[in-house]
Amino acid sequence: MPQNSPHPLPPLARTAHAAHATRCLSGLPGSQTDIDASRVALVFYCLGSLDLLGLLDSKVPELDRQEWTEWLWEQQTRGPFGTGFKPGSFMTSRPDQEGSADESNYNCPHIIMTYTAMLSLAILRDDFSRLDRRGITSFLRSCQKDDGSFSTTPQSTDSDLRTVYCAFAISSMLNDWSGMDVGRAIAFIDSCRTYEGGYGQSPFCEAQGGTTYTAIASLYLAPQGNSNGEHLTAAQREQTIRWLVSNQQTSGGFRGRTAKEADACYCFWCGGALQILGEPDLVNRTSLANFMARCQFKYGGISKAPGENPDPYHTYLSLAALSMYPPANDAGSNPSWQFERLDPLLNARETTVRWIKEHIPSNPQVSQ
Amino acid sequence: MPSASSSTPKDEPKTLFSERPEWADVQALEQYEISNPLAPIFYSEEYKDATGYFRAIVKKGEMSERVMELTEFIIRHNPAHYTVWQYRYKTLLALQSPLEAEIKLMDELAVKFLKTYQVWHHRRLLLLLQRDSSNSFSAAAKELAFVAQSLKADEKNYHTWSHRQWVLSQFDHEDLCASELDFVDDMLNHDVRNNSAWHHRFFVVFQSGVREGEEDRARVVKRELTYTKQNISLAPNNPSAWNYLRGVLDYSKMPYAQLTSFVNLYAVPTDSDVIDIVDLDNPPPSKDAQLPCVAALEFLADIYEKRGKDDEEYGTTAAVEVYFPSFLHFLESNELILSKQVWKSLAHEHDTIRQKYWEYRIREALVNA
Ligand SMILES: [Zn+2]
Repeated sequence: MPQNSPHPLPPLARTAHAAHATRCLSGLPGSQTDIDASRVALVFYCLGSLDLLGLLDSKVPELDRQEWTEWLWEQQTRGPFGTGFKPGSFMTSRPDQEGSADESNYNCPHIIMTYTAMLSLAILRDDFSRLDRRGITSFLRSCQKDDGSFSTTPQSTDSDLRTVYCAFAISSMLNDWSGMDVGRAIAFIDSCRTYEGGYGQSPFCEAQGGTTYTAIASLYLAPQGNSNGEHLTAAQREQTIRWLVSNQQTSGGFRGRTAKEADACYCFWCGGALQILGEPDLVNRTSLANFMARCQFKYGGISKAPGENPDPYHTYLSLAALSMYPPANDAGSNPSWQFERLDPLLNARETTVRWIKEHIPSNPQVSQ
Repeated sequence: MPSASSSTPKDEPKTLFSERPEWADVQALEQYEISNPLAPIFYSEEYKDATGYFRAIVKKGEMSERVMELTEFIIRHNPAHYTVWQYRYKTLLALQSPLEAEIKLMDELAVKFLKTYQVWHHRRLLLLLQRDSSNSFSAAAKELAFVAQSLKADEKNYHTWSHRQWVLSQFDHEDLCASELDFVDDMLNHDVRNNSAWHHRFFVVFQSGVREGEEDRARVVKRELTYTKQNISLAPNNPSAWNYLRGVLDYSKMPYAQLTSFVNLYAVPTDSDVIDIVDLDNPPPSKDAQLPCVAALEFLADIYEKRGKDDEEYGTTAAVEVYFPSFLHFLESNELILSKQVWKSLAHEHDTIRQKYWEYRIREALVNA
């Protein structure tokens, strides 16, 4: 038995986790009505879980996958501010009831939904012939604020680092940066850096794992001339690595802020940032897997901490963390913990990212 | 669940909007989904009913008192419905109704839905409406009092703290910031391990402008160092305080080595010899402290590493590098050997979860030496 695992790792319940995802995709109880405002994101977490587990094709009949693709395209919305995806149909009424409310300013695209819808469609291997690429770049332009950040929808005023990341990810997927002023966006990211070495969600806010991931990923997604984190000095990079690593707890899980409790999603956010910074070996994989094993819910799904209820967000991010940091494949470890590689910048399986690069840009970059 | 009795009447089930005579003139618009939708939500009857009227109202562009009632009803069932919030805000502006009622309602909803982003965003919009008015100061002061109150329910709530930082950065009143340090003191006195409070302290002292009486920055830095050291002495294994200490030094470009005597007290195993002479600049750890303290060991290794680098800058190794590069590794400075020892003890004894990181620090120090 490996020396540093006193308890052998139980299997990762892949089939049960896939079942949790398909269950959520088939419907949610009324107690989860608040998901309505971010339904496409939830759909991405479920489809993404199935994709990472490699069980999408075997667990979901082809007809369902086709209809789901249609449903996602239904969320693509054109309006005065450009094109993007909306969270769902909560502002959509029957087309036969004297026109449709679709074109209304109150049923407009949302930047986080646009990012997650594009990833979801790639997971479903859509050919993206229906994607309004130019419309999306003008949508991004109408979301960018004077301080360089992006609002969630064109008319709203709420903006923070999460939406900035979505703009970088979308522009990168399109391979078209005309939708944003990259310099101003990077200046905004810089203004969110804190003395601890992480990034807060907005200027002056406390360093947090999720927003630190979005900051680092954005800096590394930025196009040539602005890329590869050249905005980080060597000292800043070291400080960020130190802070990220300091968040791994003896339980094996990562916390999102100094002195908080470990939470499964931060295994992805902190671990992903370390992967992007080129220091994946600094994560203790064995204890990370032990933590995840304890976060598994007995009827499927992964929760934020042992003993809590599972949800699609924590399930997906846990599986994504394990895709980057599977436990060492030595004698005694179970094959259920092995995954295909994940692209940490766009947060999707590498084969899905290859699909994106071959199908989304108007001039696809055909990979070798 | 909050048991706020004042909200109970509004929470009681009321008749559906479709059964209310005052809504009889509106034709509700049913939500439309194509077949086999993804993750459909099985809404409650009253939510389905209310949102049907909301879609109809938006389509008509109606902005009236009853819209305020309708949107409040939906928000209470789904505070994340950002479209309802947006429309409510527009209606509020169109009606030009006094803000007091809305603010009162928001005070109730913020406590009820503390973790919902939209609730805080709406508060911001209401505050911005008052920013350029004559009661701008009192609005901001009231808001800070409200935030202080709601932090009592959840002392590390990210939205609440961000909101406070936002208010202080948007409302530029000298007097507003004057008591902010006292507020942070209270929070830290209550829980010295609250990193949000430490972060806020950094914001207040170094990022929100210079307050009256704090023009002498060197004195401010000295005060902060003393404050932090005292708090470390009370609770040595508190990463938030150690990070703050690093933050202050980095910000004022002071060498870590300046704190060597202080850090040394925390980097040795617990000693039965209690230090009797209390040096105010170097307060010792409390008697029951768990020592050595990981953060102190790390700090000490950083001091050694820096000294090793500085020695090198004086040029002893540079010539050797040119003529005898293979001898370089024999010429590690004493300082580097010391920091390696500390990192090894962290890797194998005191902080084994980060073994790979401490080994990485050893490798990096060798490469950079
Ligand atoms: Zn979480």
